Amino acid sequence: MRPVELTSASFAGYPPLAAALCRSKLEILQSLPMVLAPILLRDLSGYDWKFPAERDALQAQLLYLGAAPSTQRTSLLQGFAAFIPEPDLIGMDWVNNPSGFMEKLTAWLWSTHAMDRFRAQADAYGAALNAAVPEPMPKQPRLGIVVIGAGHAPPARPLFRKLRPHGVHFTRIKADEGMAIILAAGSRRAAAAGAGSGRGKGFRHWYVDGGPPVPSPALTTVSYADLEKPRALLLERIQRAIATGTMGPEELRSLLARMKPADIGLPDVGGEHDVLGHFAMSLLTEGAGTQIFATTFVQWAARECIRRAQPETLIVRYTPRQQAQSMNAMLTGETESGPDLAGSLVDADMGAYYTWLSLRRLSASADMRFLVWLEGQGQAIAIGPGLPGGTSSDSAMTIAKVLELIT
Amino acid sequence: MQVARKPKVVVVTFGGGARDEETFAPDGQENIPHMLGELIPQGTFYTQVVNHGILGHYVATASLATGVYESLNNFASIAPAHPTVFEYYRRAHQRPAEDAWVIAPSNGFNRIGGSSDREFGPNFAAQVVLPKQLLAASLSGSSETDYLHLLRDNYETPLFAPTISSQGESLQRTAELLKLSLADFKAHAGTLTSPDELSVFIARRLMTEVAPSLLWLTLHDIDIAHSGAFSLYLDGIRRSDRLCAEIWRTIQSLPEYKDQTTMFIMPDFGRDGDTNPAGNGFQHHRTGDALSRTTWMLSLGPGVRQNAVVERPVDSLDLVPTLGKLMNFNPSAAAGRPLVEVL
Repeated sequence: MRPVELTSASFAGYPPLAAALCRSKLEILQSLPMVLAPILLRDLSGYDWKFPAERDALQAQLLYLGAAPSTQRTSLLQGFAAFIPEPDLIGMDWVNNPSGFMEKLTAWLWSTHAMDRFRAQADAYGAALNAAVPEPMPKQPRLGIVVIGAGHAPPARPLFRKLRPHGVHFTRIKADEGMAIILAAGSRRAAAAGAGSGRGKGFRHWYVDGGPPVPSPALTTVSYADLEKPRALLLERIQRAIATGTMGPEELRSLLARMKPADIGLPDVGGEHDVLGHFAMSLLTEGAGTQIFATTFVQWAARECIRRAQPETLIVRYTPRQQAQSMNAMLTGETESGPDLAGSLVDADMGAYYTWLSLRRLSASADMRFLVWLEGQGQAIAIGPGLPGGTSSDSAMTIAKVLELIT
Repeated sequence: MQVARKPKVVVVTFGGGARDEETFAPDGQENIPHMLGELIPQGTFYTQVVNHGILGHYVATASLATGVYESLNNFASIAPAHPTVFEYYRRAHQRPAEDAWVIAPSNGFNRIGGSSDREFGPNFAAQVVLPKQLLAASLSGSSETDYLHLLRDNYETPLFAPTISSQGESLQRTAELLKLSLADFKAHAGTLTSPDELSVFIARRLMTEVAPSLLWLTLHDIDIAHSGAFSLYLDGIRRSDRLCAEIWRTIQSLPEYKDQTTMFIMPDFGRDGDTNPAGNGFQHHRTGDALSRTTWMLSLGPGVRQNAVVERPVDSLDLVPTLGKLMNFNPSAAAGRPLVEVL
């Protein structure tokens, strides 16, 4: 099937909001180049489970494609038209299985050594789109806080190496009730944002934890500990599939892509919980290592939250991961291993840097405020307007005071 | 009259690239003390080796071994389409199978010794030894868990962890060649901490007992990076650094190898950069960005200039033509060019 052959009936298998949107934009979809249509449909088919920021971005993209003058549109899309996939791909049911198409398209691009050209085209498309439809600005300066070091001994090597050039390194932080103060500050920001804040409304204020989360109703919360049962169900299913002896890595990826939240005990009943259920499932099925390492889960969850929900507040807390064992042992969970405290701190330190990099990709990044606190060790690094990079302070300071400084 | 001895070559590749930031950049140098302090002063170091091919470990290693960017499915058990360096060498010099070996890190590499090219193929292929298969065979029927850490396989898709199978007959033959009973092997394996240490143990044994002229060893511990644990990735780099120095010391300690062996060390490619939004930094090598394609190479041995640095960009495919010049064979289908600085 080619895009021009799409009809209203093509979207019968889509969830209601996605189907309605595709039908209302049918003409635009019909006019897309072969390789671009399935890519866009992969996003559109999950519209019902997208965060508001993602929905807005998709609507804006379709609006732009529909309204752009034809010369501008042609120049935007002609690069994609140059990629003519092999008949097998065109013949696929890419409307109902856009992820499967993407997987095969990726393999085809690699094998024909066309991947670099395709990426260049995709980058150009993304840049043109961003220029035409800029990302909305946050209602308040974004705030990212990463808490690392829970349960750790003092670090064996200097921390914050990558972040120090960008902020102030505090070396005498008083830890009293630090986590509670941070969560209270996040909750206040959510409340201050009014209608756009809170779980299920704007998904703009988040809390990601590697361990059991501290209840924070104003913040959208995701935690590795809370997902213990879905993780176990997922790993059990994977083990069963591998044990058949007929499944390779690619088949396994396809199996994961077809899974639904209910398959691993996540909410799949419609409404706002459904959105979070799908988000949690994507973290476990699309992330590598998120099923077995708490540190990997937290880093990936923060990254995906930033990329997809564009949060105004993000609080992230790392807890130790298990020690490395053979992959089989970690997948089956048969042999328990203790925590790797030293390794987890190194993971979390790098994870904090990646969270900062991800937040910097969002709009109004110059006004963003960022704090990493080494819980229990008296150290923190704060980045934001007015805080000189590459400096340090040995003044005694509470977490509340540091928060005051950066916000 | 002294008889000229035939040159030998040992190639060590890392299946799981290491980035500059964690190796040769100022912050990374603490992870590679052996490379910096011992090996680089003795060799010629290429700072920019660019891989223009598919960034999957099996297909990239196959490309390094053929000198052609192969386009086979990275996860399938398929022989490379073009002749491998092992076939060129064995056919040109009519060498027996025992003179060319590959020590491969996982089940997926079991076809890398020979190509599907009809003029070459199995008759001239290298012997491929999969240390994990040997270990699995030595553990056959037992439920011991002390060795599980040595059976890690296929980090590229961390969730896919197949059971390591063993092929009794060929493993027995390999064990006999190495003069190693499976029981001894198991006992020694119990003292090791990672799959790469197991591979280096086999390499040493091969050099001691069989002394092949062409030995290709692919290390894989670094690829634990795919699990997203930065500290484990750093551990892998440090271990590879130490193991490379141990291999070189082994070469220098064996009369069959000393002063007649050229060693090449190179990652198969890099890993994604931190700032590329399409990737997730060190974890993967999926973006095809410059960092994921660019790596380095070190060459040591007789006639190779010491403490020399080559900064011009070279291609991953240049390895096979270079080996062709060193070992006197014509890699007719290879696309690269000999690296003149080490010839």
